[in-house]
Amino acid sequence: MHKQWRHLRLWRRFFAQAVVRETHYRAHFLTTLLVGLVQLGLGIVPTLLLFGFTSEVHGWSRAEVIALVGVYQIVTGLMATFVAPNMNRMTSYLTEGELDVVLLRPVSSQFYLTLRWINIAELTNVASGIVVLVIGLVQSDLRPGFGQVVQAVVLAGCGLVLLTAVWSAMSFLAFWLQSVGPIGVVYLSAVEAGRYPLVFFPVAVRAFLTFAFPVAFATTYPVRALAGDLGWGWVALGAGLAVVAMTLVRLLWRRGLLTYASASS
Amino acid sequence: MSTVARNLRVVRRMTAAEIAQQSVYRGAWIIFMLANICMPIISLLIWRTALSNGAQLPVDERYITTYFVLLGFVTMATSSWMAAFLANDIRLGKLSSWMVRPASLLVGFVANNLSEKFLKLFALVPMIGIVWWIFRDSMNIPAGPGRWALFAVSIVLGAVLVFTIDILIAALAFWMDDVGALVQARVIISSVLSGAVVPLALMPTWSRGFVDHQPFRFTVSFPVEIVAGQLTGRELLAGFGIQLGYVVVLGVIARLVWSAGIRAYSAVGA
Repeated sequence: MHKQWRHLRLWRRFFAQAVVRETHYRAHFLTTLLVGLVQLGLGIVPTLLLFGFTSEVHGWSRAEVIALVGVYQIVTGLMATFVAPNMNRMTSYLTEGELDVVLLRPVSSQFYLTLRWINIAELTNVASGIVVLVIGLVQSDLRPGFGQVVQAVVLAGCGLVLLTAVWSAMSFLAFWLQSVGPIGVVYLSAVEAGRYPLVFFPVAVRAFLTFAFPVAFATTYPVRALAGDLGWGWVALGAGLAVVAMTLVRLLWRRGLLTYASASS
Repeated sequence: MSTVARNLRVVRRMTAAEIAQQSVYRGAWIIFMLANICMPIISLLIWRTALSNGAQLPVDERYITTYFVLLGFVTMATSSWMAAFLANDIRLGKLSSWMVRPASLLVGFVANNLSEKFLKLFALVPMIGIVWWIFRDSMNIPAGPGRWALFAVSIVLGAVLVFTIDILIAALAFWMDDVGALVQARVIISSVLSGAVVPLALMPTWSRGFVDHQPFRFTVSFPVEIVAGQLTGRELLAGFGIQLGYVVVLGVIARLVWSAGIRAYSAVGA
């Protein structure tokens, strides 16, 4: 347990440092906030237009989809805060030999590469996501009980872990491909599918979005949990998949590390 | 030799050189194009679900399908990404070394634009082909080569229009320190008004007068409408008239702003 505590303490330091750093760049904070709000507004345009032509699609009302957009905004905001800044550096870690310095430190190198950098300003998107979620819930007359909220939070957490695992796996391909900048763009485009409920997609695509590129756990399932449609079995499934995904990424990281031959020396 | 012929020759040479250079990154182009078709495919599936679920859209399934299958191709073919780079060259003084050369700095950007699009085609066309094949039963395919020829012409005009808008924005760097926010605003506004996010045919009725006549429609939506939609001869003529009008008017403005900028230019570090 001692090791886990040390990593948690270390992460708290990363966070504190990121907060201090952010106070130096107040304009960056403001532009991130503004761009985030505009993108949130634009992202919701197709949904609003869609429900101008119909009142429900496969059992989802407009208000429920708005709640789902809120959850999407929260999850992608958390990813942009804690994961994205690290994934964007993966190419330079591996091709410029910065990984050498990380490997020498008394810390799990995978942990360090995945969570070292934090972009505090993106937390504004989490805040706006919470607002959208609340608006959606109020409009849809959903009154989730305590148990349902716990289910939703755990499922969204599983979604967060699963998406991080997928993005990490895509980024760790840098061990073999050298440059993974473009792969990050593919991830960010594909994750847009999470803006819509799973049932909006054909059956084959649903399986893909649940097990291969698991945005379903990040957005659809939490909202269905809030509506009281899901049992604890789904929560267990989500947690199980998250553990499997983390194990696989760990194995991939180990394999990749074996091929690493430094870049400079 | 006339200026036009000389510039064209320079563009041709530079494009060939750029293609040779950029083909080093062919793997990256394939992956970028994969990202490029993600959004159209997601939108396609969503709107088809809405239709089959009984939504009363002003357009039919064939229009929606054809629209989104072709969308990825048209957004790529008319895109421009040079505004931030050109603004940097102005701000950091790279423009100076081009002012003593017998061709404009812009020629390099034209060559870069053409060469990247040429290489992206090889990655994108097979992907579009696969999506097309999957949805072949609900595609609107115009009979005869006439519509496809018009499609090609309007794509060329659309590409010129986007490029001109980018020159205009970047040229503001002659007077402003940072045009980054403007570049980002252009990207965000055009993504909605060009029809790249939602077909303009689905925009609310009260907005149609504005939506149908603003310049961004002619950068993406209009070319796609030529194939996907049932534009009448009259509408086609009016569309091409407006598109050509925007190209000429914005071209003249860009030309004036650019030459005013060159006169106001004082190089950094010179």
